Amino acid sequence: MAGEPSSTKDVRQQAEVTGGASDGPTAASPTSSEEEHENSLGGSRLPMSGLRVIDVGTFLAGPYAASILGEFGAEVLKVEHPVAGDPMRRFGTASKRHDATLAWLSEGRNRKSVTLDLRQREGVELFLKLVAKSDVLIENFRPGTMEEWGLGWEELRQANRGLVMLRVSGYGQSGPYRRRSGFAHIAHGFAGLSYLAGFPGETPVVPGTVPLGDYLSSLYGAIGILLALRHREVSGEGQIIDIGIYEAVFRQMDEIAAAYGLFGKVREREGAGSFVAVPHGHFRTVDDKWVAIACTTDRMFERFAAVMGRPELAAADRYGNQRQRLAAREEVNRLVIEWVGSLTREQVMRRCVDGEVPVGKLNSIADIFEDEHFQARGNLARLCEEGLGEVVIPGVVPTLSETPGRISNLGPPLGNATYEILRELLGIPAQEIRRLRQRRII
Amino acid sequence: MPPTEDAASRLPLAGIRVIDAATVIAAPYSASILGEFGAEVLKVENPHGGDPMRQFGTPTKRKDTLAWLSEARNKKSVTLDLHLPEGVDLFKGLIEKSDVLCENFRPGTLEKWGLGWEVLRQINPRLIMLRVTGYGQTGPYRDRPGFARVAHAVGGIAFLAGMPRGTPVTPGSTTLGDYLTGLYGCLGILMALRHRDRTGQGQYIDAALYESVFRCTDELAPAYGMFGRVRERHGPTHNDFACPHGHFPTKDDGKWVAISCVTDKLFERLTTAMGRPELAAPHVYGDQKTRLENRHDVNEIVRDWCGSLHRDEILDRCFAAGAPAGPLNSIADIFGDRQFHARRNLVAIDEPDIGETVIVPSVLPRLSLTPGRIRHLGPRLGQHTDEVLSDLLGLDASAIDDLRRKRVI
Repeated sequence: MAGEPSSTKDVRQQAEVTGGASDGPTAASPTSSEEEHENSLGGSRLPMSGLRVIDVGTFLAGPYAASILGEFGAEVLKVEHPVAGDPMRRFGTASKRHDATLAWLSEGRNRKSVTLDLRQREGVELFLKLVAKSDVLIENFRPGTMEEWGLGWEELRQANRGLVMLRVSGYGQSGPYRRRSGFAHIAHGFAGLSYLAGFPGETPVVPGTVPLGDYLSSLYGAIGILLALRHREVSGEGQIIDIGIYEAVFRQMDEIAAAYGLFGKVREREGAGSFVAVPHGHFRTVDDKWVAIACTTDRMFERFAAVMGRPELAAADRYGNQRQRLAAREEVNRLVIEWVGSLTREQVMRRCVDGEVPVGKLNSIADIFEDEHFQARGNLARLCEEGLGEVVIPGVVPTLSETPGRISNLGPPLGNATYEILRELLGIPAQEIRRLRQRRII
Repeated sequence: MPPTEDAASRLPLAGIRVIDAATVIAAPYSASILGEFGAEVLKVENPHGGDPMRQFGTPTKRKDTLAWLSEARNKKSVTLDLHLPEGVDLFKGLIEKSDVLCENFRPGTLEKWGLGWEVLRQINPRLIMLRVTGYGQTGPYRDRPGFARVAHAVGGIAFLAGMPRGTPVTPGSTTLGDYLTGLYGCLGILMALRHRDRTGQGQYIDAALYESVFRCTDELAPAYGMFGRVRERHGPTHNDFACPHGHFPTKDDGKWVAISCVTDKLFERLTTAMGRPELAAPHVYGDQKTRLENRHDVNEIVRDWCGSLHRDEILDRCFAAGAPAGPLNSIADIFGDRQFHARRNLVAIDEPDIGETVIVPSVLPRLSLTPGRIRHLGPRLGQHTDEVLSDLLGLDASAIDDLRRKRVI
């Protein structure tokens, strides 16, 4: 089960993608031929090389775990319906490739697409054969669906005792709501995140429009898979990782549960601010742009007062203490609003950065593309594909010093590896593959 | 009942020792997860107040805040002043006997103390080191201080939360970026451990808060790269890709529901729930493209329907029809929710020295064969200093007293 062979073209992309840092010890020079050689061998040296992952999920919650494993060397087989494929292929902005939206191109990275109709008996049999030759299975059907197809845990385990299975669903595999359909935005609401986005007493807005819950549940899923693989090495036993998207969101809510449990405190929407610190929020600059300023400690406020040219504000009898600032929240915020509002974004940034005050631009994606730090860290990976031109996607996170991940291909065309996998991995004769195709099982 | 030692020794990370010399949430959260799954976590703190996380948020009778109690779960607290040469020596001793180090000092700080990667690696070639900062160890902004609030801004999600053209608001929580980075850090550590098992070689993970946030932005980057499209704030409904898709007020004042029809089939089910199946006909709104073109009309129909019913009526009808809907829960709603109870997402833990029960989020991810566990909440400052120095480094009582007198510990 060697990792994917990388073509010369892949290596070039990979060098661009992993060679983020320009001045650090991790820097992989994209031009050095020695590095290229390293990278071309690198596939088998990556931490997840030798591992085969079946991703039979749709959209992102769960499948993103497969993306990460793929970035670090696993072979990922995306098993899709022969006609429809993953609905993610149609979700979002269309590209020039008819079976791929931009989200699919980005998040379908590093996969091979294998079509298989699990609603047909022969499809199920083939699937079990794939499972027998794989290490990890990722799925996100509504609980009970795989069981209906004869692909419950018992059947899968019989095919492969060491199988590690990640199951992601809106509400998890147990509990009264298990059969409800769940998506990230519903999970944000259910887990209490959306309730908190917006101004007090006003409309709760979507907390940033991105499907955080899908990414979060996949991150927990990938951690679960790695833990389970570690256990498998000792015991030979596989196991199930069961994640509800809402749980992954709820786990990020710092002290909210403890504070309600102990003091009955219900956290409400706080607009652009924070309940633990002042000033801590978003402020508008004179050129109608925004910055975030976060004075989490008294020392940071002291620096900020100096930057504003008002060091006396940090005195012990004024606002030197977080408690004083929280008590005088309106007044302190007013001072900050006035100061920030009198300067351009660049001026605020420069003064705060020089004064070591935690500050950041509220970047739009246009700002991000221009940002020198994003460039230097290689956060924007640029991949070229014939017929598509250049596609810019987020680079690999996290960055490992000895075994950096890589992006070998964008989201593949539907069924691009069906023949290869059936023929080479399962040893099915070409004629039989033709028959399966005619019957639309693949 | 606490799990037996036998069960604990079967956890996937039994036998792994982690030093958490970091502060607040991000890198420490990586260590928390490792601890939940069997690793021994030594929280190394300065003797003068310790991790500032002990002061963030709501204080308890023990002074340490609730956030500390919850997120420092399972850790042992060891005090050590790294500004003093003797503290540095003891730290090196701990490094020699550990597998993982988590830190989040500003780049260059550990190096200043003589504890940079090259030094640590010589002491322990198998060491895995997680380095978390606002901007990473490289690049022009590497020396800037970073917090999650700033990472949300730099990573592009703060810009996207709020009413169109209105003030950008906090995207629900001020700590998302910390937890996200903790997750990526934990993943990096687990992959590095796997590499170490094969090769004997350690490495470091260079994590940046803003990168974790930016990685979660779906098609934001490719859509700008290819079409120059800049996504803006969308208020309560986000209709770039799907409609209806957002928050809708109900007849109950202040109670909202989320509805998310990402496919045509789901919209069809919603129309069934609404008793308006004709809306899903192909020549009406059956197709996502048509709905997106007529988003204002579609949203208005859904808003009218939601506004005419109580929250629970809407949800009951949606669930009966299999339509994707859910409440916008407050924490009070969550405490009363059957699913949270059935899944035991909230665990109540008695801490003798707090005198009260503390309710905290339970372990994630959920593993069937080797589930993680919470043995105790965040420790008191220096609670385990003596134990660790004597058991692990072999110091006797008088040596420890001496260190304490010199305020090294």
